[in-house]
Amino acid sequence: MADESKGGFFSDLFAPVAGFGVTFSTMFRKVATQEYPEVKWPTQPRFHGRHQLNRHPDGLEKCVGCELCAWACPADAIMVEGESNDDEAGLRFSPGERYGRIYQINYLRCIFCGLCIEACPTRALTMTNEYELADNNRADLIFTKEQLLAPVQQGMLPAPHPMVEGMEERDYYQGKVTQATPEQQAWVEHHHADHADGPARNEDDVEARS
Amino acid sequence: MATQLTPILTKFWDHPQSWTLATYEDNEGYQALKQALTMEPADLVQMAKDSGLRGRGGAGFPTGMKWGFLPPDDGGPRYLVVNADESEPGTCKDIPLMMAAPHFLIEGVAITSFAIGCNHAFIYVRGEVVHVYRRLLRAVEEAYAAGYLGKDIQGTGYDLDVTVHAGAGAYICGEETALLDSLEGRRGQPRLKPPFPAVAGLYARPTVVNNVESIASIPPILLHGSDWFADMGTEKSQGFGIFSLSGHVKYPGQYEAPLGITLRELIDMAGGMRDPSKKLKFWTPGGSSTPIFTDRHLDVPLDFESVAAEGSMLGTRALQIFDETVSVVRAVSRWIDFYKHESCGKCTPCREGTWWLAQVLERLEHGKGTPEDIDKLVDICDNILGRSFCALGDGATSPVTSAVKYFREEFEVGCHTPWWEAFPPEASTLFNQRSVKVNA
Amino acid sequence: MTVTSDKSSGEAPEVEMVALTIDGLEVSVPKDTLVIRAAEQLGIQIPRFCDHPGLDPVGACRQCLVEVAMPDREGNVKPMPKPQASCTMTVAPGMEVKTQLTSAVADKAQQGVMELLLVNHPLDCPVCDKGGECPLQNQAMSNGRASSRFEDVKRTYPKPINISSQVLLDRERCILCARCTRFSDQVAGDPFIALVERGALQQVGIYEEQPFESYFSGNTVQICPVGALTGAAYRFRSRPFDLVSTASVCEHCASGCSLRVDHRRGKVMRRMALATPEVNEEWNCDKGRWAFTYPMLDDRFELPMVRRDGELVPVSWQEALAVAADGLRATRSAVLVGGRVGREDAYAYGKLARLALGTNDVDFRARPHSAEEERYLAEHVVGSTPETGGVTYADLDTATTVVLVGFEPEEESPIVFLRLRKAYRKAATKVFSIAPLETRGLDKLGGTLLPSAPGTETEVLQALAGDGTSEHMGSDAFAAARTALRDPGAIVLVGERLATVPGALAAAADLARSASGRVAWVPRRAGERGALDAGTLPSLLPGGRLVADQADRSEIAELWQAETELPTTPGRDTAAILESASIGEIGGLVVGGVDVDDIGHADGHEALRRAFVVSLDLRESTVTPFADVVLPVAPHDESEGSFLDWEGRPRPYRAALDTTAMADHRVLSMLADELGVFLGTRSLREVRAEMDALAPRAPQGGRTDDAGDPPSPVSVPSPGPGEMVLATWRTLLDRGTMQDGEPFLAGTAKAPRAVMSPVSAETLSIVPGDLVTVSGGGVRVTVPVHIQPMVDHVVWLPTNSESCDLRALAGQAGAVVTVTKGGAA
Repeated sequence: MADESKGGFFSDLFAPVAGFGVTFSTMFRKVATQEYPEVKWPTQPRFHGRHQLNRHPDGLEKCVGCELCAWACPADAIMVEGESNDDEAGLRFSPGERYGRIYQINYLRCIFCGLCIEACPTRALTMTNEYELADNNRADLIFTKEQLLAPVQQGMLPAPHPMVEGMEERDYYQGKVTQATPEQQAWVEHHHADHADGPARNEDDVEARS
Repeated sequence: MATQLTPILTKFWDHPQSWTLATYEDNEGYQALKQALTMEPADLVQMAKDSGLRGRGGAGFPTGMKWGFLPPDDGGPRYLVVNADESEPGTCKDIPLMMAAPHFLIEGVAITSFAIGCNHAFIYVRGEVVHVYRRLLRAVEEAYAAGYLGKDIQGTGYDLDVTVHAGAGAYICGEETALLDSLEGRRGQPRLKPPFPAVAGLYARPTVVNNVESIASIPPILLHGSDWFADMGTEKSQGFGIFSLSGHVKYPGQYEAPLGITLRELIDMAGGMRDPSKKLKFWTPGGSSTPIFTDRHLDVPLDFESVAAEGSMLGTRALQIFDETVSVVRAVSRWIDFYKHESCGKCTPCREGTWWLAQVLERLEHGKGTPEDIDKLVDICDNILGRSFCALGDGATSPVTSAVKYFREEFEVGCHTPWWEAFPPEASTLFNQRSVKVNA
Repeated sequence: MTVTSDKSSGEAPEVEMVALTIDGLEVSVPKDTLVIRAAEQLGIQIPRFCDHPGLDPVGACRQCLVEVAMPDREGNVKPMPKPQASCTMTVAPGMEVKTQLTSAVADKAQQGVMELLLVNHPLDCPVCDKGGECPLQNQAMSNGRASSRFEDVKRTYPKPINISSQVLLDRERCILCARCTRFSDQVAGDPFIALVERGALQQVGIYEEQPFESYFSGNTVQICPVGALTGAAYRFRSRPFDLVSTASVCEHCASGCSLRVDHRRGKVMRRMALATPEVNEEWNCDKGRWAFTYPMLDDRFELPMVRRDGELVPVSWQEALAVAADGLRATRSAVLVGGRVGREDAYAYGKLARLALGTNDVDFRARPHSAEEERYLAEHVVGSTPETGGVTYADLDTATTVVLVGFEPEEESPIVFLRLRKAYRKAATKVFSIAPLETRGLDKLGGTLLPSAPGTETEVLQALAGDGTSEHMGSDAFAAARTALRDPGAIVLVGERLATVPGALAAAADLARSASGRVAWVPRRAGERGALDAGTLPSLLPGGRLVADQADRSEIAELWQAETELPTTPGRDTAAILESASIGEIGGLVVGGVDVDDIGHADGHEALRRAFVVSLDLRESTVTPFADVVLPVAPHDESEGSFLDWEGRPRPYRAALDTTAMADHRVLSMLADELGVFLGTRSLREVRAEMDALAPRAPQGGRTDDAGDPPSPVSVPSPGPGEMVLATWRTLLDRGTMQDGEPFLAGTAKAPRAVMSPVSAETLSIVPGDLVTVSGGGVRVTVPVHIQPMVDHVVWLPTNSESCDLRALAGQAGAVVTVTKGGAA
């Protein structure tokens, strides 16, 4: 409690502007506010952000549709359905026998615990540092495989396409595949021209979403 | 006192036509059969028991006792099956016997069949030895023609048919129940016991399965008496046996001697080591499935008990002699390759264990082993021994565990030095004139 | 049902018990029990792979090793030198067993074997269909080491190969336990797969000349302890942890197998056999396992429809029911219900006919049938259950002799077949079949054929039962059958096909009586026994009550609280209903789950065309084009109810999927409401309460008044030149609509063929491999010929296989057909 009886001349004199002292001194201090969204601050590298489905260096998907991430998820946020790769029909999405036909993460449920990426046997699922996951409706927060897949980088070709000639599944995991080959390039050019609207296997994405 | 050779089955192998019926008859052939046909079958069984004859196929089970296990006659057929599927690495006694004097076997078959009340006997010969198969077929033909086989043998009213069957080349078919499966036309894989073959063997009928040498020993025993036989050998391992010496001795071959002879005596008889300047390093007392011995065991009497007391088995008396130019690791690796190839695949320990052992040994052989590999080898063997379905798996572990026991340091060398550096192969050759330094 | 109850066999002999200790715990088990089973009784789980209670022990995997000590002759308990396989060793008194729980040796042995098993097993669990429910995975966790010391090269093979169109084999994953090969050889009798090669390269192989076309191949997938055998239909479909399982019962035949329906997000993913020792043990057939896709096809009805201007248009339920009620009210109506609906639904159909439509014109037999059959069912079958002394599966296990008449178990009731095979293997049961040809199915039962042309079954049965003055006496098979039938306890199994052979059902009953045995009726469809007991026959009310009996009628009327008296005269059967409808005597038909072509009646289509048809159905059927109103009903997986299997044993099932589809009884209740009648079948509880209120009534042979003289057997028409007598029955996998939508299953169906004897073939100069054309009754099919010893001048063809539809002829026993060589004639 202030003692009203005490007070000298100077204090009375500066009393009206004394409050600005705080303001003034703060002007020279380090700014504590984060000017989001104008300035986006980097996170710690291990920050658990949005997921990403990685690709092999030739662009084939690493996800084998094993559903272990869905099994590990404590919030039941992940839905996966597997399917056979089919070379004859030109539907090879991953090396090996199986790929993830449907892959969805519901970010309304996800708690970003990271158990899913620990469960992933192929390092297909990892987490990025992206944290801007807000929207004004529920449906858009269920991310589908197309949204989660890593972008096609230099040397990659978007799946589906055949495996690198002469390579087996294990060669992909042993790092023997470094980029897409000209044969794959030719295959993709030939086939994706036929199916301009993309592979035919994803039509029941919507139906399977629950 | 040095043990003497006792050529009985091998007596006339040097005859220019030792395999013919005429030669055999000149050497007391088929006299035992004639005598047997006048006897009571039960007396014949008793004679086999009295002689103390133990199975010559490896396990050493008393032959007479085996015959005695057959259930009483129920009117149905019962069979004698002769196991002539000699495939053990190093074992070479039945094949030369059938090659040189097949009538010993055929007469033995006839006597045994009569003793156990069998009218159809089978001889299951290893399929790869076509020359032996042919000679056996010819001998059976001769015996039929001479009235020693077929209907109403020697006018006694006793009928016996003998079928010689050639196997398709699987080591496992030397296992008696696998042999029966193979004989029935199935894949050769050991059967679950019980029921034992004596109760439900070939075609689910009572069956006696005996080794060639056991059966071939029957005619001499009958002619000369069980006491004559029991006088040979040691107290519990009576009689004579064919010892097949191979490897680094001067004169490899078959030496027929009483059980209880030592390797030192046998090597002397075989003219010493092939290269007298090289020492004996290790040897197998009974084929590759028996734990190896070293020069420390030169004076172990080769009878069932003494060999067992030293931690091995008399087995088939297949004495493979290796001198100091040989890499133990390499030898064992070859043997395991054999077991890996011959494992029938029925049970896990043998099937997967030999697959694994072969790879570890391959690495050690090429100097790419790791220090853990040696203990790993021993532990894998521990997981196979006594866990597998039949004795094949057990046998596969014998060379490994015994080799590690006696030559562990050589396995340690395998962690860095390939075999050809540790044991230059030219040192083992006779034509090599250069002197080679041996590391062992 | 009981003809003569064999009371002496009721008491089982005292079982000799053996006492032993396992892990220090004492347990007493029947003699000859395996150690591994004795341990189970104590709750001690010994890990195992090759061991399976339904198969003979083999001792191949060596995973179940335990330490055993046995008392010697002096009673000193001595440990055995090596660990023993507990799956092959039987218990002995005083035995002391130490499992992995108390013995370091056993634990190390098990861990060692597990490590060895994993030496050549790939680490592809993430992409393996067995992952998550894999005994190898689970037991590697419970009885294996945390890490492997194996760092060398694994055995690899190209990834899966098809060993049949529905079973895939991944040889890398196989641990060579031989469960599949032993199952196929021992249980199914189809040794088309076997282990080949040796050592670690041993693998399951198929016989090139004979594909793995076994009706029971799905069981090998289920019992495979790893993911080596997988089903093509379930490949990569889902994971065990996101499946919801519902216990159910198979709807495909009267065997009554327990099933586990695994579904995810409202879609059935797979079905597995569920163990029910008294019925299907642990097995089922491929049809029951894989034919579940039919309700998921595009032609499934979702909304009610009415016909307007010749077209069916979707309308509201209210409107559809109103149209249906108006149409039915305007005319005399009858009810046809197929043998596929559950017992409660069948009950509702019967009640609708009697209460709302005022008629006894209701029949569940959408197949060839006869009045004689109806009488037989009413006298001998209805009300027969295991409790009232009916023949059971367990009775088949121990039967001395089984006679099959008009019944091919492997095709028509596969689990009965498996039981008969078990009886043949374990109890040396003698099986005789009165049929025109020896099938592979009969061969697998070690059975003997009593050759008889179609239509002559009655004669053969009478001769078997008679004094032995028949012309059949000459044959050895016949003599053997007569000898076998002298032992009491023979069982006669009659199939539904016998309905069309005059006098045959009565003759079968007589035979059973004369042999002091029993007879059982084995229908093909799952719902027939239930429908019979639910009173869906012209002369039968629910619970075996008779239409003709005043007291019975009153009892039912009281139960139903009927305002008017129930119709008093027995109604028309299916054939008569169709005839009447085709000439306009019946104007309305309520048809539920019937394929009109199955009835094989010439008037079928005409009847549907003329009548006002209310069709309760799941999908588009042969009735739909004629339907005036279509009311969608729930398929099996989406409804609750129960079947009676052929024994009369209730087999209740729950709805696997929770959908808005309504069961038949509910739809019928709404229809009755619209007709102004309260049916009281809205809920299953109501229906069951009513059904349970009727006191069970065991079959009372010979109650009906009009039993009369049994009709004399017709003489079989003697076929002229170029003609033959047709023998036909359905194969298990055929064109049945409940197998639609499953191409992998259809891939193992037997190709249709005409089977005839060498003599028959010679008269037509046919050689094996020729095509023959069989025609008659407006049907003409061309199929390859197969020649084997059988009754001369008889030709066998499947009734309803691909490009071989003979249903129009199947209704007449001994139909004569024209057979010509080649495809063009």
